[in-house]
Amino acid sequence: MAVTVEKLDKPSAEQNGNGKTWAKIDLVNPPDLGRSVQIVGEVVPVDPNEGPHPKNSRGELGKALFNYYRNSISKDPLSRVGANTHSADKRNVLSENLNKAPKGEINPDRVEVTDPEAMSRHLKRVAYYLGADAIGIAQAHPTMMYGGRRYSEDGTTTVESSEGEGPEELCRRYPYLIVATQAWDYDKLQAHRHFIGDAAYHVSQMRSNMIMKALEAYIRELGYTALRATANPQAAALAAGMGELGRNGMVISEKFGARVHMPNAIQTDLPLAPGHPIDLGVTDFCNICRKCAITCPTNSIPFGDKVEFNGALKYKINWLTCYKLRPYTHDNWGSCLTCVAVCPFTKPNTWWRTLAIKTLTTPPVALRPYVVRALKAIDDRFWGVMKQKRVRWMGYDTGIKPGEHACTVAGCTADHDEAASKVQGDVGFYAPLKENTNRFVRRDV
Amino acid sequence: MALKLGPITLPWPKTEDDPYWERFLKSAPADKRNAITEMLGNQPEGAVAPVRADLHTPEITSTHIKELALYVGSDLTGIARLPADPDGYQFAVVCVVKAEHDPRQAPGIGGQVPVMNGRFSTFVLGAYIRELGFRATTDGNPNPDAQRLAAAAGLGRLDAKGRLVTSKYGDKVHVAEIIRTDLPLAPDGDLT
Repeated sequence: MAVTVEKLDKPSAEQNGNGKTWAKIDLVNPPDLGRSVQIVGEVVPVDPNEGPHPKNSRGELGKALFNYYRNSISKDPLSRVGANTHSADKRNVLSENLNKAPKGEINPDRVEVTDPEAMSRHLKRVAYYLGADAIGIAQAHPTMMYGGRRYSEDGTTTVESSEGEGPEELCRRYPYLIVATQAWDYDKLQAHRHFIGDAAYHVSQMRSNMIMKALEAYIRELGYTALRATANPQAAALAAGMGELGRNGMVISEKFGARVHMPNAIQTDLPLAPGHPIDLGVTDFCNICRKCAITCPTNSIPFGDKVEFNGALKYKINWLTCYKLRPYTHDNWGSCLTCVAVCPFTKPNTWWRTLAIKTLTTPPVALRPYVVRALKAIDDRFWGVMKQKRVRWMGYDTGIKPGEHACTVAGCTADHDEAASKVQGDVGFYAPLKENTNRFVRRDV
Repeated sequence: MALKLGPITLPWPKTEDDPYWERFLKSAPADKRNAITEMLGNQPEGAVAPVRADLHTPEITSTHIKELALYVGSDLTGIARLPADPDGYQFAVVCVVKAEHDPRQAPGIGGQVPVMNGRFSTFVLGAYIRELGFRATTDGNPNPDAQRLAAAAGLGRLDAKGRLVTSKYGDKVHVAEIIRTDLPLAPDGDLT
């Protein structure tokens, strides 16, 4: 079912189940998603069941990927705790437990909201208090909504009375989308394509899940509905002003760059004041930079311009080749994260990062390419064209080449039969090396 | 823009105009299932991995456990030896999180945030130890000895009421669930 952009005769005359009028939504204009993504045509709501993970779990992507997804257990104990698809026992995965817990009822004693601005400030403060690093509130729009039967990989699906309602109806009844998230740890992320990077990914994934669950429960306690897995969180984050969409297909956030999760958005009828898209200069930067496209081990990130895909003008990555690498590297890591680690926007949230963003966004758009070239040169010089930093954490060490044995723990007196010679230097090894992947993934795909 | 110098904030911190904040901290959820602490607490624990992981010495394993605990949100972590545990566990891993409001007096979703953070870290830590192939459980909580165990693990001293006072956060702390485990660790102290 396509969302047609047309004018409504009676925008807000009807009553919803709670006796309140439905919210007015602008169906005439496409939503404002900032400079990085424009809605230029007809948007067909994406069925989440056609996403990579559901497709794979039905065996539609071939045997190797199916076995990787459904039948493989990670050899790393920390990954078995973090990833529900590669765990030995799902009860040891926190998200799995959280999702199995029964949902509470909506509090009948509803808190009446007179000032949506105050409620928005409150909700943001609540999210930060719960441990979120970034939160955004967006006005829901049919072009952001999922179609088909709702699905979410982490099981956060809520299908309530909304089952069977179209995107427009849902948007009118529950006009706000909330995305709250936690950033991945910067230092651990440097060990992309390694179990350390996986730990950064999984721990903050579990934590964002928990924060979103708590936020959802809090909205129910305020007496309002909170739906999950109804809308595309990336679109919501762009409209809310959390960041802009980069060449690598990730939302590049204001404070953390690409190192943020996009957990399933909460859709609610709690009266809020939605945010507006921001300009971080991502469009200007991605036009020139291409660092993610160059370092991607599967060449899944485009070198070319934005394309129109499903009505949206944006950079379109090749998710299938991105996904197909995973069975080959399952012994070494679970989450690649190379495009996130290498992105010049991905930096610690410090004053010099804020200064660089200010330098980039202050000049007019016509002058920005010069600033971008300068900033990229600085990034290449000080952070490297390829990320090869050695990271040590909890006995993991990326200085050890994949497949080799060595113990580099200071003060270790354990008896290691296969311990190789001492590991020296500050170079990290991340499997697979780019030249190896070029053999089975063609450059122009 | 406020300048923060430890506990002092310049200019003087404004009281935020937030009419819903007290309710967030103090008002207990009408439906218990809306409490995140409830969601995290009632599921059965996972199995112990059948193959034991290759470990370093107890001292190094202890530093790894503490590094992981710090990363998953435990502000202070200590290990105490259990003298006579009915289930045969040797060590207790004690996680302490800082608590702006005492969770015992603030039953709201906001007031219970330290409990939520504590559960998160003890859950991940316990699950990690089980995946290493050693028994670890958070059963038997709330543990009557929790505060004493935290003191025994070297995280602070007990005040006259028997509550933990730490040097870093004072008494604004919450002692999370005690993880009892078989993992060979180097204890920071013994429970006497």
